[in-house]
Amino acid sequence: MRGLTDLWITVQNWIFETFVTPVIYWLGQMAWYEPAYNAVEFFMLGVLQIAVIALGMRFFERRWPLEKSGADDRLVGVDRVYTVLNKLGVIPLAIFAITYPVTTQLEVVMRGWGYAPPRLETVVPWLRDQVFLSFLLYFFLYDFAAYWLHRAQHGLAWWWSLHSLHHSQRRVTVWTDDRNHVLDDLIVTFALVLFSQLVGVQPGEYVSILMVGRLIESWSHANVDMSFGRIGEKLIVGPRFHRLHHALANPDEPHIHDHNYAPVFPIWDILFGTAVFDGKTRPTGVDDATVDADNGKGWIAQQVAVFGRFLRAVTPRALRAPVQPGLRPPAE
Amino acid sequence: MVQGARPVLNKLAFAAAALALSLVGPAMANNVLVLNSEEASYSVIDRATRAEIQRLPVGREPHHLISTPDGKEVLIGSTVTNELLVLDSKTGEKKRVIRDIIDPYHLAFSPDGKWFVTVAYRLDHVDIFHADGFKLAGRIFIDGMPSHMAFDGASKTVYITLQQSGRVVAFDLATQAIKWNVPVGNAPAGIIMVPEDKRLVVALTGEDGVVTLDPKDGSMTGRLQTGKAAHNFWPKGDGRHWFLSNRVEGLVSVLDAQDMKVVASVKIPGGPDCMAISPDGKELWVTQRFLRRVAIVDIDTMKVIGSIPVGKSPHGVFMLQPNAPPQASSAPSKGPVVPASADQPATKR
Repeated sequence: MRGLTDLWITVQNWIFETFVTPVIYWLGQMAWYEPAYNAVEFFMLGVLQIAVIALGMRFFERRWPLEKSGADDRLVGVDRVYTVLNKLGVIPLAIFAITYPVTTQLEVVMRGWGYAPPRLETVVPWLRDQVFLSFLLYFFLYDFAAYWLHRAQHGLAWWWSLHSLHHSQRRVTVWTDDRNHVLDDLIVTFALVLFSQLVGVQPGEYVSILMVGRLIESWSHANVDMSFGRIGEKLIVGPRFHRLHHALANPDEPHIHDHNYAPVFPIWDILFGTAVFDGKTRPTGVDDATVDADNGKGWIAQQVAVFGRFLRAVTPRALRAPVQPGLRPPAE
Repeated sequence: MVQGARPVLNKLAFAAAALALSLVGPAMANNVLVLNSEEASYSVIDRATRAEIQRLPVGREPHHLISTPDGKEVLIGSTVTNELLVLDSKTGEKKRVIRDIIDPYHLAFSPDGKWFVTVAYRLDHVDIFHADGFKLAGRIFIDGMPSHMAFDGASKTVYITLQQSGRVVAFDLATQAIKWNVPVGNAPAGIIMVPEDKRLVVALTGEDGVVTLDPKDGSMTGRLQTGKAAHNFWPKGDGRHWFLSNRVEGLVSVLDAQDMKVVASVKIPGGPDCMAISPDGKELWVTQRFLRRVAIVDIDTMKVIGSIPVGKSPHGVFMLQPNAPPQASSAPSKGPVVPASADQPATKR
């Protein structure tokens, strides 16, 4: 085990000293020396995640595909671009650069008022020495917040205009999880960081939660009809559970996609009455031609088109040009 | 549960805990503590076998640790949980937790032991406490990532480096008023006061050396090249020489603070950071942040004689010393000593 750790550290150190250190030293940004080193690890973890997806998860998709190969195969390509940009830290870095100064300043202001965000360890001192359990509890809290944010993404018209990009994919695969508009990513990240500050999730834990959570979410988008078993599927979100959330609405089930929102722990859907475990398989996508038009576009074209949808959604109804059908959130 | 069983179980549990403590206590003496800043733990290293024998939990993001003025206890700053973990400095045994010390990134006692100062690196403020009872005397919000500190010999003034804004600021400890605030260069970190308050020496992590300042008004009096990303100091103990880590250069220099020249150096890869000297004065231990190791240097030959794997991002390092005087004042033997960044070094995180 130490051998693997040493190998990991050696690679990280080499990348850092060869490519990163000279740049930040030259730029005079040595105050970010340690975070930059961690960013290299974030990048390496991203490479590892992509490898797990491409080699591990894809094996199951190839061996036991739910939707067979067909014309829609070409639609998957753009999702790979999203995955690479996100997992390798390009999008997260941009979002970090925007959110960090704001959230840190908020914390400074709160401290100025004498308010320190509470931590579970303060309420339950015993947790101070239980690193894993503490991590798990923060993970639950984080997922709880993510569940409600996800419901808001579907329930608010302006937010759905962005989030609909994620659902527009007719060919949901392990690459689909990262298919989001950058503004959607920014809003969700900002909200989750604020929530994390409020309940005491810390930066290190945040990254760990992100890494573990996003890997589980990649798997939950896999093009397979699998779950973690009768009990397991109620503990961890799997492909069968989450695929229902991506289901194309139909006359018999017009609101089928308004279920199974939980990112990682289905307990939230069970508790709040949005869980469905019927085991049926359904086609995926959005029954709205405007949204479905995302398919076939490249990364930039999708970002531009969806931003246009967003602008239209936030424009007062009276001022909208009547040339396009209005977007409707699927919950309506 | 059978009636009466609980008291019996409680007694058994207490006996087991007492036995465990009695075993842990003596075993910890003569050992070295290393704070694994990104792992919420500290490593206990057996100095004799040079092996990590325990890894114990400690708050979140611990960076620095210091001895109390009486030398009886060690304080570990847990920056994220806003508290200090108090250990017995001889045995390493956990004694208590001091709450509501906000973001104690770096911490130090004034030479007279009356003041306790913490800097909140991430949250941009400096807290000055009455050391007796840790009662807050004043909190000063100041932009620019306050990181390291030094005191004057009379314990009237604390000097703090601001790593992001590139300044050093001097505060009056009693009134918390700013005495002066000057630019010194890119990313100032470690700062020491040379005995008899002759000069302040400031390591510039964004440059390749140190600058010297006049403690009276902060005016710059000199500059010396040492290596890329000069960062932190540790006193050799003779009142004249200081070890200085240069992080990007991967080098520890020996600085003659009297003549202001580098007299020796040793390569230490992996972003060398905090340091400590073994009680016999023969070994310098240096944390290697990026390699997750702590290196051991033979001080006579200035050669690396060992490197021990520890946890993630090892930062502060501390020698447990049975029957030893306080480490904060065990450094230079001549003239007033300034512990702060010198006693239990520090760095950027």
